Amino acid sequence: MSGEQSKWGIAHVHASFNNTVITITDQTGAETLAKSSGGTVVKQNRDEASPYAAMQMAETVAEDVLQQGVEGVHVRVRGPGGNQQQNPGPGAQATIRALARAGLEIGRIEDVTPIPHDGTRSPKSSGF
Amino acid sequence: MRVAVTGTPGTGKTTASEQIDALDVIHLNQVIDREGFTQGVDDDRGSTIADLDAVESWLDGRDDVLIESHLAHHVPADRVIVLRCHPETIEQRLRERGESPASATENAESEALDVVLTEAVDRHGTDSVYEIETTDRSPDAVATEIESVIAGDCEPNPGVVSYIEYL
Ligand SMILES: Nc1ncnc2c1ncn2[C@@H]1O[C@H](COP(=O)(O)OP(=O)(O)O)[C@@H](O)[C@H]1O
Ligand SMILES: [Mg+2]
Repeated sequence: MSGEQSKWGIAHVHASFNNTVITITDQTGAETLAKSSGGTVVKQNRDEASPYAAMQMAETVAEDVLQQGVEGVHVRVRGPGGNQQQNPGPGAQATIRALARAGLEIGRIEDVTPIPHDGTRSPKSSGF
Repeated sequence: MRVAVTGTPGTGKTTASEQIDALDVIHLNQVIDREGFTQGVDDDRGSTIADLDAVESWLDGRDDVLIESHLAHHVPADRVIVLRCHPETIEQRLRERGESPASATENAESEALDVVLTEAVDRHGTDSVYEIETTDRSPDAVATEIESVIAGDCEPNPGVVSYIEYL
């Protein structure tokens, strides 16, 4: 562990219809540095609570990895997240903003949302 | 009334809709294939890319139908039914059907992340989307529930199913 070199990680944001899960790993993805428990949001409050829960989790994991010497993260968003929003949804966007506000530098943001397919698939949605 | 039955590949749309009597069933993937409604190829996935404008024009005027496909939520419909199934079951079914492991896994992850449900709600709104949890239920039971939605005996309920723990 060199104190000189800046240490970067990857923030994996899984954003489903009702939930957001955040995991921060090292750059290889092999070692988990921090994991959110996954914010299950009560259904009737989903619209308000989803971004809020995501933000809270983002703050917690950000503080955790900052203490481990991580300065910044590349972000990989997986999942459409939230409803009636463009991809990725409120959970993902709120998460990225909260990671930045907590003091992490944000590097590349990639949308790696899976595409349902068999012999055919829909045209790709716009992505990030 | 036009009803769309959608869901991740492997959730059992084709099997369940074969048991529906209330409406004529359009197996949309077969139509896309037969009519050549494609606009390119996704080489990574070995899938053609559907031409949804062409699909929509072809469907124009076909109103009293049930449209069955994982793309059915991309066309106009009065009610949209999203079949849900546990991602592990989907992965297993798709492997048994001869899909590549990568394809089975990507579809299972799509299911765990509610991709089809979210797209359906984005396009049609929460008031038109009905989720049916099919895991461990027979095709007959699923068909019966689809018929209740057609009959107007169900309330829209998007967001009741979660498989995020699969990830
Ligand atoms: N309710 C069910 N219970 C058990 N197996 C099912 C059920 N529905 C479908 N299957 C099986 O799962 C596989 C995928 O079903 P299919 O109807 O082709 O799915 P889809 O049209 O949604 O891709 C098939 O092998 C089918 O026999
Ligand atoms: Mg099918």
